[in-house]
Amino acid sequence: MLRFDDRVVVVTGAGNGLGRAHAHLFASRGAKVVVNDLGGDIHGGGGSAKAADVVVNEIKEAGGEAVANYDSVTDGAKIIQTAMDTYGRIDVVVNNAGILRDVSFHKMTEADWDLVYEVHVKGSFAVTHAAWPHMREAGYGRVIMTASAAGIYGNFGQANYAMAKLGLFGFGQTLAIEGRKRGIHVNTIAPIAGSRMTETVLPENLLAALKPEYVSPLVAWLAHEDCESSGGLYEVGGGHFAGLRWERSAGKTFRVGRNISPEDVQTSWDAIDGMEETEHPENIAQSMQPVMGNLERGESKGGNEWIDVDEALGYEFPEQTSSYTERDLALYALGVGAAKDGEGELDLVYEMAKDGFKALPSYGVIPAINVILDLGKRGVTAPGLHYGLDRVLHGEQKLTLKRPLPRNAKLTHKARISNIYDKGKGALVVTAIESFDEDGDLLAVNEVTTFVRGAGGWGGDRGPSAEKNTPPDRKPDAVVEEKTAANQALLYRLSGDWNPLHADPAFAKAMKFDKPILHGLCTFGFSVRHVLSQLAPEGDPRYFKSVDVRFAKTVYPGETLITEAWKEGNELIFQTKVKERDEVCLSNGAIELYETIPVKKAKPKGTAAKAEASAPSGPISADIFGGIGHWMAENADDTKRVDKIFQFRLSDPDSVWTVDCKNASVSEGETAKPDCTLELTDANFLAMCTGQADPQKLYFGGDLKIGGDIMASQKLTFLQKVEEKHVKKAMDARGAGGGDAPAAAAPSGPTSADVFRGIGIFLSENPDIPKGVGKVFQFKLSEPDSVWTIDASGDTGVTEGETIKPDCTLELTDADFVAMTKGEKDPQKMYFGGELKIGGDIMASQKLTFLQKVEEKHVAEAMKNRPSGGETKAAPKKAAKEPFAPKLMDSLTVKKNGGAKVQLLVTDPDGAWFVDLGEGSVKPGTYDGADTTITLDDASLAELAKGDADASALFQKGKLRVDGDLAPARDLGWLKA
Amino acid sequence: MRKVHVIGVGMVPFQKPGKSDDYPVMAKGAMTAAFEDAGVPFTDVEQAYVGYVYGDSTCGQRAVYEMGQTGIPVFNVNNNCSTGSTALMLAKQAIAGGMAECVLALGFEKMEKGALGAKWDDRANPLEWHAGQMNGMQGFTAAPPAAQMFGGAGREYRWKYGTKRETFAKISSKARSHASKNPYALFKDELTVEEVLASPEVFDPLTRFQCCPPTCGAAAAILCSEEFAKKHGKGDAVWIAAQAMTTDFPSSFEEKSMMKVVGYDMTKKAAAKVYEEAGIGAEDVDVVELHDCFTANELLTYEGLGLCPEGEAEKFIWDGDNTFGGKYVTNPSGGLLSKGHPLGATGLAQCTELVWQLRGQGEKRQVEGAKVALQHNLGLGGACVVTMYRKD
Repeated sequence: MLRFDDRVVVVTGAGNGLGRAHAHLFASRGAKVVVNDLGGDIHGGGGSAKAADVVVNEIKEAGGEAVANYDSVTDGAKIIQTAMDTYGRIDVVVNNAGILRDVSFHKMTEADWDLVYEVHVKGSFAVTHAAWPHMREAGYGRVIMTASAAGIYGNFGQANYAMAKLGLFGFGQTLAIEGRKRGIHVNTIAPIAGSRMTETVLPENLLAALKPEYVSPLVAWLAHEDCESSGGLYEVGGGHFAGLRWERSAGKTFRVGRNISPEDVQTSWDAIDGMEETEHPENIAQSMQPVMGNLERGESKGGNEWIDVDEALGYEFPEQTSSYTERDLALYALGVGAAKDGEGELDLVYEMAKDGFKALPSYGVIPAINVILDLGKRGVTAPGLHYGLDRVLHGEQKLTLKRPLPRNAKLTHKARISNIYDKGKGALVVTAIESFDEDGDLLAVNEVTTFVRGAGGWGGDRGPSAEKNTPPDRKPDAVVEEKTAANQALLYRLSGDWNPLHADPAFAKAMKFDKPILHGLCTFGFSVRHVLSQLAPEGDPRYFKSVDVRFAKTVYPGETLITEAWKEGNELIFQTKVKERDEVCLSNGAIELYETIPVKKAKPKGTAAKAEASAPSGPISADIFGGIGHWMAENADDTKRVDKIFQFRLSDPDSVWTVDCKNASVSEGETAKPDCTLELTDANFLAMCTGQADPQKLYFGGDLKIGGDIMASQKLTFLQKVEEKHVKKAMDARGAGGGDAPAAAAPSGPTSADVFRGIGIFLSENPDIPKGVGKVFQFKLSEPDSVWTIDASGDTGVTEGETIKPDCTLELTDADFVAMTKGEKDPQKMYFGGELKIGGDIMASQKLTFLQKVEEKHVAEAMKNRPSGGETKAAPKKAAKEPFAPKLMDSLTVKKNGGAKVQLLVTDPDGAWFVDLGEGSVKPGTYDGADTTITLDDASLAELAKGDADASALFQKGKLRVDGDLAPARDLGWLKA
Repeated sequence: MRKVHVIGVGMVPFQKPGKSDDYPVMAKGAMTAAFEDAGVPFTDVEQAYVGYVYGDSTCGQRAVYEMGQTGIPVFNVNNNCSTGSTALMLAKQAIAGGMAECVLALGFEKMEKGALGAKWDDRANPLEWHAGQMNGMQGFTAAPPAAQMFGGAGREYRWKYGTKRETFAKISSKARSHASKNPYALFKDELTVEEVLASPEVFDPLTRFQCCPPTCGAAAAILCSEEFAKKHGKGDAVWIAAQAMTTDFPSSFEEKSMMKVVGYDMTKKAAAKVYEEAGIGAEDVDVVELHDCFTANELLTYEGLGLCPEGEAEKFIWDGDNTFGGKYVTNPSGGLLSKGHPLGATGLAQCTELVWQLRGQGEKRQVEGAKVALQHNLGLGGACVVTMYRKD
């Protein structure tokens, strides 16, 4: 019980209402109470000493201790003096006294205002101020301020009162801070109670619920020494108690150092006024936090109505993905003028080109630009960039490739605004886009520089200004002249930039061009192609490292481009002119080359695969090729008959294999002169070799490409003669070490038998584990059926077959067992789902956790040494069973047997029969008037009717449910098949 | 053996998990109330027996230290759901055997939300034999294990005697009606039989409202010798007329009976011992606090304690012989079902209620003229403590 023995409590305004209830509660719990009341009416007019005396007498009659004081709270010192004189100390001050001068504001007089202020604010000040030195000295004190909802939320006609009440809260908050070190706690309550002050405004029934006695317990708790809270604000009344705190919106922060206009506030109003994201500052420091944070961010980088550098710079676009195939590469190459004569540059457009298909490196800009265009179309733009496309020109383009573009790729793009420059009249906005391949390796980096007309002039960073990549003052080392086609833009736009400016004459006119113009990036593609063809080693585009170029002038389709290039150290400086107008359209160009063609670094073998699959693998393509080799060695004559050299180019992951039937050899790597080249994905190759995919379908579906002597490919039927054992031989040679990806197909992953034998190997390697377990487990697997015993009781071993005395029996399907050991299924869920049944010592099953220690290698070892005889038994499909109940009930003849009426409800599948044992009748359906309802599933009914189970056991197991009278359920003798 | 008085009892209102104070605070509340009630100071206590199930070792000391560190022996007691009355029994033995004059028995529990489960999975589960029996008879489902055990016993009883579902539900309804008059109870809202039956099924025949909730709480009792009581002017205090504890008999594991697995024979034999020792029988009892962890167990316990003949619990219930106006009042406090079941505190909370009843302090739930009280506290695993109190 919370007691106030020896505590002295001053309650102001304690003659009636809340104050009186507080005083009584304190006194009843041992406090000595100074009952202060002026004896005034609620409007602050005159008074007698009576009210306080009445309360003091009540307290004394109840055995408590109290003394009356009749001073005004504005004479607070006198009230405290009464406490000191009478009891010699002061522990608690409850500032409760108050008056009302309710009047609407336009009628309010200064006297109304001042008087309310005097009593509530000045009064609380005076009393507390007088008590404060005593509390400081004692190192202990509790002060309660009485505020009001009117002060917090406002209330019609209470302008003066609201002012005073919220004033008390602020007053109390500061006292809480000042008093904390001296053990003085100050809290504020906002009570609602039916007191003299409110009886004029509230209906009677509500008043009854708002007893002062519902407020006082909070005051007592806040005033108790055990209460650690200080600086709190609490709503209380009518049985409800709650804390109240400030809430602040996330708001809007403008960087310092720039003008903030009223319009800035207006446009940010949702963020400032909205309360979707909020926090709750508790003190001045927390109040200041957003400001301090803003100061830490430093001065604004500026901006204007078009560009807000602070918002835009560094913005990261949402990650995007895209993919391309050889078709996209070839279409692009055609779009930038490749292979115009149908003979040269075939390697850029024909995937089966003799010298191997190559991507034109300038294609590297396309996926990135397309992603940005696509984001724009979907309305995803960087914040702080407020200009339309009409102001935008593609100013400069930079592209770096980490290695030659693969023939197909799935890319992930990360784009961000990397630089913003103020060029005076205009501005430059640089978007950097990094493109990563499926393995997360960086493949390409683009920097797109956009010139924004009329958007500069905020006095910001002007950026680098030195002229770069200026052509030297000598004759170019290479010059390429090429006429673009009249439909060049129409062809190029199919690679992704669908802007009608490049296709629609009317649109172009509206944009003040004579006719549709060529894409700047199309000219760019021409130029890169030109330079590489002339100055890269052997004209091989795969040496490309980077290009950097400025777009200077527009080109019209059909015009002639002249690209001039100079070899300057490692760089190839270039520019491109329009011949007809003798104007430079691409300037300040530079291309860098790699010294050798870079290759993607191979992943450390096995890691990726291991992450994917915990199970020991089936064959990988290397095994199949190995198997082919073994077959060829055994079947020299058949091999000779084929007499061709095949080259397999597999992708995902990439590998190249040569199957040489002329010399009966299989090797990894390229061959000089294959008769026939086959290109397909690794997965499709595996599927083809395991009979899961038909090569002809792969071919016509475009998934298998055959180059060279297509007829030779028909001889590949010999592959079907390669047997599992050949592949297995190759797998064994690969050893257990390489946990490569599991095969899509045949010579399958581990079977349950493999897992059990693996467990056996594990147990023999770890003899201590079974000792700790000390149990014998029997597994009964179904579909296909098998029984295994794991003896972990000391007589260690795993054997197929039953055991006489298992501690624990587990029943589940073969597939579930394998899934469970792979961690794909949770045994507990299976158990509760009924897929796993456990018999015998159920607690022993918990010890099966040791199975988790069985490693892949144990199972792999078991797989390697599978006993002959093949055990991948096909799972016989269970035929859907015919429901038992209808058959039984149709054939049932019920003799008169007592008088009970039994409603039989069968589930799974559902059925209902009504049996009247009085009449000896059975009818399907449900009827009223049953004495007993018996519910059970079809299978249980079958067991029961056949005598395989008795009703009491089914009932105990919950399989037979009885509602109503149970007795008829005990005598189901009539229910016999 | 010396006469043993209970001169002070006290408890704190029980709370839901997560809503309670920490155990030292709850324990302090119960002890403070008990010492106030006894009118003796803590320094008079010579030994303390402290029961709790969930907590690290020596929580007992931590709790007792709230009252002072007097260096006395403190024994930590753990006996599943009968932990509280086990502490009580040890305290009683210390006095009866002349080893001490004034002893504190304290019980508390701070429980987690949700049904009871095992805390240790790397060692033999103490209930593995019981669970094995159950698995053989009715399998094992996802329902809370204790509900499966006691619900299974309910099924067996139902099959045997054809008991209606409503009969089980009536016990909960009665418990709530008693609890509505007990300020210390957790669930004070009354429930009709229909409402009990309509709550979600936990394990047929048990519905949610027929299962006691995990609860936090504390209760304490101060026991002393006759001499000590007289010296403090409490010669007429409530005294323990008889007490017995039983643990499992082979029937729990051999008879393929769920009623036996959940301790029917433990109850029956402990009661028989108590009646023999007290020299009076069930017919002399006025008020009973018994272990209604589930309605099914209250029903079984009527017969186990001999409040009604075997097979007649249903009639006993429908005749109203388990509530005010009937032969006995069982669980006037609301029992485990409504008051709550903080494992370590339950046995001492039962003791507290019965001492109040015998003193006539039962307020609105007072059983008129109660002179003989019977307490039954049962834990699976197992232990059953039956205690008879009298007031002269």
